[in-house]
Amino acid sequence: MNASKNGASTHTQPSTRQIRKPVRALRLRDFPGVAPIAIFGIVFLYVPILITTVYAFNDGDSALIWKGFSFRWFGEVAQNANLLNSVWVSLQIATVATIVATSFAILFALSVDQLRARGSAIATAILTAPIVIPEIVLAVATLGFIRIIGLEPGMLALILAHASFCIPFALMPVRARLKGLGTSYFEAATDLGANTWQIFRRITLPLLMPGIISGAILSFVISLDDFIISNFLSGSGSTPLPVFLFSLIRRGASPAVNVIAVMLLLLAILVTTITFLLAQRKGKQHV
Amino acid sequence: MPALVVATLFTIGPLAIIIMFSFLSRPPEGGGIEYEFTLAAYVNFLFQSDFLGNTLFDPRYLRVFGLSFLQALITTIVCLVLAFPIALWIATRPEKLQNMLVLLITIPFWTNLLVRTYAWMLILNDNGIVNSGAQALGLPKMDLLYTPLASQLGLIYTFLPFMVLPIYASLARFDFRLAEAAYDLGARKTTVIKRIILPLATPGILSGILLVFMPAFGSFVQPVLLGGGKVLLAGNLIAAQFGDARNWPFGAALSVIILIMLMIALIGIAWYSRKSGKKVEISL
Repeated sequence: MNASKNGASTHTQPSTRQIRKPVRALRLRDFPGVAPIAIFGIVFLYVPILITTVYAFNDGDSALIWKGFSFRWFGEVAQNANLLNSVWVSLQIATVATIVATSFAILFALSVDQLRARGSAIATAILTAPIVIPEIVLAVATLGFIRIIGLEPGMLALILAHASFCIPFALMPVRARLKGLGTSYFEAATDLGANTWQIFRRITLPLLMPGIISGAILSFVISLDDFIISNFLSGSGSTPLPVFLFSLIRRGASPAVNVIAVMLLLLAILVTTITFLLAQRKGKQHV
Repeated sequence: MPALVVATLFTIGPLAIIIMFSFLSRPPEGGGIEYEFTLAAYVNFLFQSDFLGNTLFDPRYLRVFGLSFLQALITTIVCLVLAFPIALWIATRPEKLQNMLVLLITIPFWTNLLVRTYAWMLILNDNGIVNSGAQALGLPKMDLLYTPLASQLGLIYTFLPFMVLPIYASLARFDFRLAEAAYDLGARKTTVIKRIILPLATPGILSGILLVFMPAFGSFVQPVLLGGGKVLLAGNLIAAQFGDARNWPFGAALSVIILIMLMIALIGIAWYSRKSGKKVEISL
C-alpha cells in the first residue's frame, strides 16, 4: 500500500524525491470530510443510471416490476420500426453535421497563422456562447433563423442547425492541441522552405489528427444526443432519436425506454473512453 | 478565415434574429412575426391589459422567473457544495487514479440528457425504488414524481458534472508542495483550504457557477419530465410561446431577458478577472 503510494507521488514530482517523506505528504493532502462527500457525489452520479441499466434486463411488461432477467426488450426494441427510423434519421444528421463541423475545425487550423490574437478571441466567443446560453434560447433562436432564411422545419433545417452547434465541440480539442504545439514546428518548416500547403499537409494535419478525431467523435455524439434544438426543428418524417425518445418518455416509464437508455449510456461510455485514450496517447507522444 | 466568418454568422445570426423578433408584433392569428416595431412583448412580461384597456401590473411571468431563479440557485449551491470536495479529492489522488476519476465524472456528462432525467423518473415513480423502500419500512407512499422537488433533484443531478470539471481543472495544476510548505510553517488544514486552495479554485468555481446556473435557469427537459405539468420554469414558458401559445415576440423577449442576465454575469466575471488578475476560462 505504502509502496504504491510512494511510487505514484514520486512520479508526479520526481525532483522532491530525496527531500520529503511521501507517505506523510500524501496524508497531508487529505482534508477532513472531503473524501466521504466526494465518494457520495460519485455514487450519486452513478446510482440512477445503474438502476436504469438493471431494469433494462427486466422480463416483465412494466418498467419497474421485476419479473426476472432477460434480453426480451432488447429484441422488441430492435423490431420497432418507428424507433429504427428515428435512429436512421439521427445517424444521417450526425454524419453530415460531423463532416461539416470537422471541416470547419480543420479550416480553423489552416488559418491559424493569420488569426493568433483576434481570431483566437472570436473563437473563444464562439466556443463559449453555446455552453452558457440555455439551450432553449438557442433552440428558439435557431427556429427563428431557419424561418428567416426561408426554410421549413425538416431534415435540411436539422442538418444546418446541428452542424453549427457541433462546431464548438469539433473546435475545442483542435484548439487545445494547437495551443500545446506552439509555433516552433511551423517556423522550422517555413525556414526549411515549405510552402503553406506543404506545411498544412505534412505538419499541421498530422500533428492535429488526435484533436481532429476527438472533435469529430464529440460532434457526432453531441448531434446524436441533442434533443431541445431538434425538438423545434423536426418535421413529419424527420424525427431524430431523442425527439422520438422524448415522446415515449412523456407517456411514462416503460421497458422499451429502459433499453434505449442503456444503449445511449453505452454510447457515452464508449465515446468518453475513446476520447480519453486519444488524449492519453497525445500526452505520451509530445512531452 | 471565411470559416470563422460563417461560424460567427451561424452563432450570432440566430441571436440577432431573436433580439429583432422581441421588438416585433405578433400576427393576429399568432405564430411567426409581423414587421412592425413594438415594445408590447416586454410590456407583456410585467403588465396585462384588462377588458377596459387598463394596464395592470401582472406578476404571473415574474413569478415563473422567480421560481426558475430559485431552482437554479438551489441547483448551483448544492452542486457547488458537492463538486468542490469531489474536485479537491480527485485533484489530491495519484495521477493515474485522477485520470480514471475524471473519466468517471465525464461519462454521465456525455450521457444523453433525456436518459439522465429518465433515470430519476424510475427512482421517484410510485412503484420506484424510493417508494418500494418506504413501503418495505411500513411508511406510506409518497408522491415524488411530478413535483417541484423532483424537478429540483433532476437539475442537481444533470448539472453536477458541469461544476466538478471546471473546479477540478483549476485545482489539477496546483503544486501541492505549496500546501505542504504552509503546513511546515504551522498552518492548519482549514487555513490551507481557506487561504490557498479556495483562492486557487475561484476561477473554476466562477466558471462552474455560470455553467450550472444559466442552463439550469433555462432548463426545459427536467421540469417537463420530472415536474410534470406542475412546474413552469422560464424554459418551458419560452417553449410554450413558440409552441401552443403561438406568441413568438413574447417568447423572444423572454429569451432576450435571459441573454441580458447572462451578459451581466459575464461582465461580472470579466470584472473579477481584471481585478484579481486571474484568468477565468469558461469551458469544460
